Amino acid sequence: MAYEPQYYPGSTSVGVNRRKHMSGDLEKLRDISDADVVTIMGHRAPGADYPSTHPPLAEMGEPDCPIRQLVEPTPGAAAGDRIRYSQFTDSMYNAPAIPYWRSYWGAINCRGCDPGTLSGRQIIEARERDIEEYTKTQMDSEMTDPARATMRGCTVHGHSLRLDEEGMMFDMLARCELGDDGNVSYLKDQVGIPLDQKVNVGRAMSEEEVAARTTIFRYDNVSFGGLGDAPERKFDEGLVALHHMWERRSKWGFRPE
Amino acid sequence: MGNIHTKKLFVKALNKKFGKDFDLAGKKADYAPFKKLGILQSDRKKEFMAASKALEGKRGITMYNPYLHAGGIPMGQRQIVPYKLSTTEYIVEGDDLHFVNNPAMQQMWDDIRRTVIVGLDMAHEVLEKRLGKEVTPETINNYLEILNHAMPGAAVVQEHMVETHPGLVDDCNVRMFTGDDDLADEIDDMYLININELFPADQAEEIKAAMGKTSWQAIHIPTIVSRTCDGGTTSRWSAMQLSMTFIDAYNMCAGEAAVADLAFAAKHAAVIQMGDMLPARRARGPNEPGGVSFGFLADMVQTQRVKPWDPPQISLNVVAAGTMLYDQIWLGSYMSGGVGFTQYATAAYTNDVLDDFSYYGCDYGVDKYGGWGEAPSTLDVVKDLTTETTLYDMEQYEAFPTLLEDHFGGSQRSGIMAASCGVTCGCLTGNSQMALAGWYLSHMIHKEGWGRMGFFGYDLQDQCGPTNVFSYQGDEGNPLEIRGPNYPNYAMNVGHQGEYAGISSAAHAGRGDAFCCNPLVKVTFANPALLFTWEDIRKGYGMGGAREFRAAGERSLVMPAV
Repeated sequence: MAYEPQYYPGSTSVGVNRRKHMSGDLEKLRDISDADVVTIMGHRAPGADYPSTHPPLAEMGEPDCPIRQLVEPTPGAAAGDRIRYSQFTDSMYNAPAIPYWRSYWGAINCRGCDPGTLSGRQIIEARERDIEEYTKTQMDSEMTDPARATMRGCTVHGHSLRLDEEGMMFDMLARCELGDDGNVSYLKDQVGIPLDQKVNVGRAMSEEEVAARTTIFRYDNVSFGGLGDAPERKFDEGLVALHHMWERRSKWGFRPE
Repeated sequence: MGNIHTKKLFVKALNKKFGKDFDLAGKKADYAPFKKLGILQSDRKKEFMAASKALEGKRGITMYNPYLHAGGIPMGQRQIVPYKLSTTEYIVEGDDLHFVNNPAMQQMWDDIRRTVIVGLDMAHEVLEKRLGKEVTPETINNYLEILNHAMPGAAVVQEHMVETHPGLVDDCNVRMFTGDDDLADEIDDMYLININELFPADQAEEIKAAMGKTSWQAIHIPTIVSRTCDGGTTSRWSAMQLSMTFIDAYNMCAGEAAVADLAFAAKHAAVIQMGDMLPARRARGPNEPGGVSFGFLADMVQTQRVKPWDPPQISLNVVAAGTMLYDQIWLGSYMSGGVGFTQYATAAYTNDVLDDFSYYGCDYGVDKYGGWGEAPSTLDVVKDLTTETTLYDMEQYEAFPTLLEDHFGGSQRSGIMAASCGVTCGCLTGNSQMALAGWYLSHMIHKEGWGRMGFFGYDLQDQCGPTNVFSYQGDEGNPLEIRGPNYPNYAMNVGHQGEYAGISSAAHAGRGDAFCCNPLVKVTFANPALLFTWEDIRKGYGMGGAREFRAAGERSLVMPAV
């Protein structure tokens, strides 16, 4: 029988969504143009050549190495692109993605990438044309609600602040705005440099939609440990599995031999 | 079940911060919009701007300008809120909690760095057996009088010596303490740290039993000396004045070879530094923060002595001391530089958040397991206490968006939640390794539930941490009390070390112990003449922030008036 990765336990919507993010089996909700993605990333002008840090691998004459023969280079590595990044901030108020799951998505599904995980932001670095592709996938898919997940290279504390007046995630640098038509536009790139023209990244999700798509456990949506005022707590399967890992890790360290 | 224990201690602080009528539980700013008032909503920032403006002409170069922040967007796009020092009524601005602006915080560290404990017994033996001198309570009193003349920086033997101005070094003092009640009775009160008077009776007996009938000197050299030099100076300054004082007090020849025996016995043979010397790559001598073990710091804090009935309060004061010393001063300045580390540390000692979380866990545990130190030391108990406490903590952040906004960084939240679990497990089991096990489990529950924790390195330490809890192998083991900031897995990041000190103390507070690691350190910091408020750390920080605290190291006596 062929092996099927199980990824994550639990039958709640959060458990299901976490499995979707990890497996890469994501629903595509919108189609943001390559040029718009590149504009928001801010590393090169749309249409400009890719700066390179070395000649294409095919021209370099690589050493006789079994690993190099086994691993096909990504398009960006083959071309000699420099390494660039995109970084997302996800609101703790039911944004669809959460930092560790963006990292798991990247590590499992994106070749040649280096995910970094923090509390308010999650960065993926890769060769430039590769990271552009990975970024577009994230922005197009259900991983991203334009109102509660923003590409932010800096100033990311909005993830834990109250939502701004229009239901958008707070942003000190005011990189995005919600239009009258319900669409969110970027006015600045990910590090806050103003854009020549707005970039529309799609419709903001409703409260109901983010609650259904989110991967964060919250007591007021899908609870991790049961409600605090309920007669008994009820642990999610993810918590039970975690207890098991913690206990094994603790006992492993105690090695009297 | 759990909610019967909730006190929501942080609500009062949040009302003070955001305003009495503010909707603390509102998720959207619709209820109280972000006014984006910028820097001008802070009196302290305005004061800084005015001060900088006044200095510009004199300095001839630009200085503080908050409009340079973030490419022209100043702080204050959200509310700039003040901080309430936990369990106190002090409310100060965040800036007041940077150690540069807070003289009480400076004095706390100064009090540690300028302290060394030196034994008297071996010196007395050499005096009696090698030099034929008689040592009596009278000679000891005479010696202590001379020492309190010499230690601040005065001459005792040679003629035509320079000396220090007493007004600059008035914080310097030396007192002795002993486990021998008969000897203590004979020592002049002004030169004695009286264990029987300062400690509850059971604690006094425990301390005296631990130290036997030995005698020690609690030496605090002048703050201004250790600030001008470094922590390594303390034992050297002390040693020189000690040996000169012995020569004077016991009428000795300054050149006799036997005096070398005395000098070694008096200066070096029984010396306890407050901080161990660090490896060369850290480039720090003894008595610097990176060498102060968690157990020593826990013993410096004196809450255990004055509030023995309140184990969480004892632990929380140690956390406050530790986060300031290890995060703000050690990692934040010695090891890194800049101003960012203060934000991590303040979360642990302001706004009654950690207090609420810790008392919740402790109340739950006391109800379930019967009392302080009475829960079995098992992983099942740790799992129960920690899971309940962490889930409660997470729910408070979820239910009170203003609380989440106050602890806007994941490292703050992770440290606070895990500390509440460490304190809870320590107080309930009386076992510091169980407390540490709870600390790590809490981090993992937080990360799993919210899919986020602190930052790269912060998370690494805690996700692999359970493996070192019960390990006793070489560089990865040790009881928590004798680990310190330079323990291999702890040496790199903020938001941990102060909490480790706090949860070390929790275990002993739960057991009702008189001390955590070293009884001599505990007694030394009971010295009433120390300037910092060692009995109530948070109060001291509040006094410093409110500009009510007068620190040592005054120099205006010898400078022109401003």
